[in-house]
Amino acid sequence: MTIRVAHWQTEVGPGDGFAAVIRRYEELNPGVRVVQMIIPPRVYRQWLRSNLAGDKAPEIVEFGVWLEGMTDVPVRYFESLNHHLAKPNPYNRGTVLATDPWLKTFEDELYEQKLNSPEPGQYYAITLTRSSLRFFCNRDLLRAVTGSEAAPRTLEELRGVARQLAEFNRSSGADARLLAGSADNAIAMMNLYIAGSTTRLSRDLDREGLLALYPRQVSWRYLTGEWSFRHPAMRAALELVAEIHAQMKPGYQQVGRDEAMREFMRGAAVFFFAGTWEATSLRRLAGFPIDVFRCPQATADDPVVGPHVLGPFADGNNMTGFGLYLNKRSSAKTVAVDFMQFLTSREGNELFARHSGWAPSVREVPITDDIRAFLTPEDGYSYVAPYLSAGGNARALFRRNLHLLAGPAGGVDRLAAGLDAGMREAAMADLEAERKVAWLSALPLDARIAAAGACLRLGGGDAAGDAATRSRLEAAQNQSEARALLIAAQLRMATPLERALTEP
Amino acid sequence: MNVGCRRWLVIAVFNLTGATLSGERDQLPAVLNLVVGNQSKEAAAMLAAGAVADARERELARAIVAMAAPPLSEQRVTELGKALEVLADGRDDLAAEAHYLRARLFQLHQSEPDWDRASAWYRMLAERQPENHWAQLGLVKLGLILLHAPGPDDATARISAAAALPPRIREAELRRDLHLQIAWAGLAWERPRAEVLRHLLAADEIGGLIGISGEDLVMQIAELSLREGQTAQARRYFERFLREFRTSPRNFNVRQRLAELELLEQGVRTP
Repeated sequence: MTIRVAHWQTEVGPGDGFAAVIRRYEELNPGVRVVQMIIPPRVYRQWLRSNLAGDKAPEIVEFGVWLEGMTDVPVRYFESLNHHLAKPNPYNRGTVLATDPWLKTFEDELYEQKLNSPEPGQYYAITLTRSSLRFFCNRDLLRAVTGSEAAPRTLEELRGVARQLAEFNRSSGADARLLAGSADNAIAMMNLYIAGSTTRLSRDLDREGLLALYPRQVSWRYLTGEWSFRHPAMRAALELVAEIHAQMKPGYQQVGRDEAMREFMRGAAVFFFAGTWEATSLRRLAGFPIDVFRCPQATADDPVVGPHVLGPFADGNNMTGFGLYLNKRSSAKTVAVDFMQFLTSREGNELFARHSGWAPSVREVPITDDIRAFLTPEDGYSYVAPYLSAGGNARALFRRNLHLLAGPAGGVDRLAAGLDAGMREAAMADLEAERKVAWLSALPLDARIAAAGACLRLGGGDAAGDAATRSRLEAAQNQSEARALLIAAQLRMATPLERALTEP
Repeated sequence: MNVGCRRWLVIAVFNLTGATLSGERDQLPAVLNLVVGNQSKEAAAMLAAGAVADARERELARAIVAMAAPPLSEQRVTELGKALEVLADGRDDLAAEAHYLRARLFQLHQSEPDWDRASAWYRMLAERQPENHWAQLGLVKLGLILLHAPGPDDATARISAAAALPPRIREAELRRDLHLQIAWAGLAWERPRAEVLRHLLAADEIGGLIGISGEDLVMQIAELSLREGQTAQARRYFERFLREFRTSPRNFNVRQRLAELELLEQGVRTP
């Protein structure tokens, strides 16, 4: 029997990690062949969508809830793993994890699934790794510029490095940049720094008392007029965005992350802001020593954003990622689950971590010093607060308007005005997308709840199990359905509100 | 290991048992289990493969299998509606289930929901068989309509109407779900925090929430209690949050809130 696993991780490392796990799995299961399919990220969405629709998708596929235009996919095409996750992973026999339910063997107990599952309470994926956001540093260049290898710990210290770099360029004739630039890593960095430097605003907007702002709250609070890009906190954060923009080479918005990596590898930038998933590529391919630094923090006395920060912000967390999902329509689901269990067993995940250079997702897997730098202790505020990315429409709006920072007439005010001009429409479209996902989640549950109820009536089966299933499905549906209805009500209210604000 | 083979084995076994005098009704649980497991195509194939002794159960199963592959065409909704109305004519559990599903077609499966008729059917069922599970579940769905369906923007009236339902829901988990949704609607419509907290605490007392909602509930009780000046309750729930949700990325925020609470209790400053 052959099963296929598809993912989009084209970086150096994960392919090797998978290959090592597959070799060992095939040794243990001689009747099974596992094929790794690495699909380029640029075509992954279209490739996955067409293969799922045509019933030709692999048994196991990588997926992420943030993939644009794919929000309907999990409920339609993936199978819940709850049943398996409740039991111990058989490949953990003889280890300290032997008796733990599979779910509890993950460092974060699959928190991302808990947070984003399209069907509350259902876990559709297992994860392979943990990641965080870091400043990768060209040690030689930093020493040449500053005379030191010390990491800048605050934004002010980072600005100091920028000033020293300007002097270094003037005196040496070099043209190095502080930050290697591309649209991808610039926007990721801007997202992080906006969220991190507006924590007071986020706490004020958290009327629900969640100590977090979910995307739907960000969109809704914008529609109610409680924040805009001209709000003092947001305007200060956009000043920070402008600083980031100024430290990247002109035209960075037009290139992708590979170009930023090449710029860094050429020694043309001191830092490369990226997720730790880039670390293996950087370390294996760079011709200079690389250090991994925590993100410099905005402090309370920061001249730009100081008044708006509650304290240090999180530049990573305990959450695991690289989610692998089970294709509901596969005829080899049992084998596929078996492979997923090996992949995330203590042995399998250690093999993956060792050969990929990525941090493991599973508890008790040994970690090398190289990887330890990727882990983030619990030492910063995390309000989530995706002001630039509450949904696909908000994300696209920011990408379209980022150029307003550039040019003689460009600047923060122009960017803020451009964003505010389109944000109402984007927020409404993003809320509508979320409403639709919630509705799509609720819709098929009627039949499943009714079937579970009929099973109970007919008897002869596992009455307690049927009752528990029905209860779980009902709770999940009540939540999804209520969310869809609440968002629909908010959208009805937002429409006249928008009219009131825009009409003379 | 091969699920496909196992599936055919199940069908073969079904055909064998179908030939026995007592076996015909036995296939229904298998069909229904396929629906529960999200395998609507296989369920439809199995249901079509042989006769079923109990005609009413068979008709209901047909409706359920059809509803397992949404969205439904308007014509299909009409056909299913008629079939369910016939099945709903009775006083047993099957009739109650059919009645409930009829209301669901009005509320969720039509291209344009008919909120009034869905509400009327839920109310009718609750009058007719108040103790039945489907009537109890229907009251939760009625509550959601009262809270959020299009109509006058009178939050007080909406919340009051929905809040009258939980005392009629005897099944604790369903009552919990409605309390939670009343609380969340109250937050959305900016109702007084004390009123919201009452519903959150009622939901927490029942417990057993799934997904992120269980974590959100504890957090909300803690934080809203703090904002309401109920510091002892806030502390209790913040501390419980740290104990029960050790992997939450919000733990740092909670620890900071506890530190602020400490200062507040010492009269140093207001969080």
